[in-house]
Amino acid sequence: MEFSFSVTGPPKVDLKDSYDVVVIGGGPAGLTAAIYASRARLSTLVINKGAAGGLVATTEWIENYPGFPEGVAGAELGRAMQTQAQRFGAEFFNGEPEGIDLAADPKILRLAGREIKARSVIIATGTTPKKLGVPGERELYGHGVSYCATCDGPFFADKELLVVGAGSSGVQESLFLAKFAAKITIVEFLATIQAEGILVERFNKTGKGSFLLNHEVLAIEGDRTVSGVRVRNRSSDEEKLIPAGGVFIYVGLEPQTGAFADQLKLDQWGYIEVDSDLRTSVEGVWAAGDVVSGATRQIAAAVGTGTIAAIEVEHYLSSEGAAR
Amino acid sequence: MGMLKDEDKKYVREQFAEKLKGPVKILLFSQRLECEYCRPTEEILTELSQLSDKISLDIRNLQIDSEDAKQFGVEMVPATILLGEQDKDYGIRFFGIPAGYEFSNLLADIIEVSADESDLPDELKQKVSAISRPVDIKVFVTPTCPYCAGAVRTAHKIAMANPRYIKAQMIESVEFPHLANKYAVYGVPKTIINEKVQFEGAMPEAAVVEQVLSALEQPQS
Repeated sequence: MEFSFSVTGPPKVDLKDSYDVVVIGGGPAGLTAAIYASRARLSTLVINKGAAGGLVATTEWIENYPGFPEGVAGAELGRAMQTQAQRFGAEFFNGEPEGIDLAADPKILRLAGREIKARSVIIATGTTPKKLGVPGERELYGHGVSYCATCDGPFFADKELLVVGAGSSGVQESLFLAKFAAKITIVEFLATIQAEGILVERFNKTGKGSFLLNHEVLAIEGDRTVSGVRVRNRSSDEEKLIPAGGVFIYVGLEPQTGAFADQLKLDQWGYIEVDSDLRTSVEGVWAAGDVVSGATRQIAAAVGTGTIAAIEVEHYLSSEGAAR
Repeated sequence: MGMLKDEDKKYVREQFAEKLKGPVKILLFSQRLECEYCRPTEEILTELSQLSDKISLDIRNLQIDSEDAKQFGVEMVPATILLGEQDKDYGIRFFGIPAGYEFSNLLADIIEVSADESDLPDELKQKVSAISRPVDIKVFVTPTCPYCAGAVRTAHKIAMANPRYIKAQMIESVEFPHLANKYAVYGVPKTIINEKVQFEGAMPEAAVVEQVLSALEQPQS
């Protein structure tokens, strides 16, 4: 039996009244921005509502982030990045802002009933798993419908599972589920598998899995818990019910920009529009990571934009300081 | 080789040196047989207790010390309880090994117990301390669930704000499948309050406090 012990939870922070930079989001982009900003000796606060690493923390194993030839656990990578930022003095607040005024100068954020001022803001709120939007999905959430294999996989020992989405996320998480499940069917709307080839090879090697391509999920069925999924063959129009004790959904991501929707320019899908220096439509506000319009949505890319945003902020604050 | 990495030990030792105020006793109910996770829990808590003079560890046996177990409402092991000065019980319970993300909760709880102060915002603290009927909060988790730690943390903070009436238990689902089954847990975190209100997912603190209040408003069963 192997255990890991996470020592870097959100530490209790005595919030200051104002910061040079407030980073919203604690995924790779936000944490990297915090590392650079705190090393530049800017007072830095990271606001994170979940575990260190954001969505990365829910990824069991990461093999395409450079520097880890054997791969690294997502949770471990998130923790390491947070520890690194903390080491240089970045502060962390666990929760969500109750209110944000980006137009104000300085920016104003409400946190735990207090008003915090920020000379600049980096938005790195990332994305959240997209819902499928079919009947039964919401009703059976937590009763066999899940968006987090690392969280809920152990509840499905020896069950037949259905994974929706044959992208890299869907196949990667199926590999984790294969440790528990008796059988896994990955249903994909498109006629092709989008996942990286190496993941598909491994999935096939588990001997537990199969792909069902070109099928649309119509409904998730079950009385108190999931019993099956109704799918439609997109060529023949034929419908069938696949028995399943659980459904894991990986059909893409959507941006977490609800809190800024009326304050920043977003693209038609709700991602934040930026210029080449990652400046948003509001002065003093940058965006980085997966929340940026057109982002590549890879950890290494998020780390890159987090770096750029922090360096741009540093330039901005030093010239702003000079102007005052 | 210990269970904690050397650099983690160093970090925790520093955190404790800086933040611990009063003494904290970790009370662990354990047993030798038929408890796969008892021994690793004993090991990790032993290592942890060595990281500060302010922390002591008291390991009891579920059968031999059955009277004590009853007093603390412990029927399954491993069960970790945090006691403050003069053995004050803050209603904090961990059933199952506090591993993965739950370990950072244990650290945060120890710091709060040591300070004798719940971390809830004042407004919520007032609401919670006005409660005068028993509240039992169960939070089902898995150690690999990044969202679970927040749910447990919130439940523990609520208990700390009114330990006379409120108990908040983390339950590690993999170790107690019969309970996970009984409460139909297929996704974590899942929170159950007084057997009446239940919800999946991590909610903001204020929303959880409202759920506790709504559980109390429902007729006694």
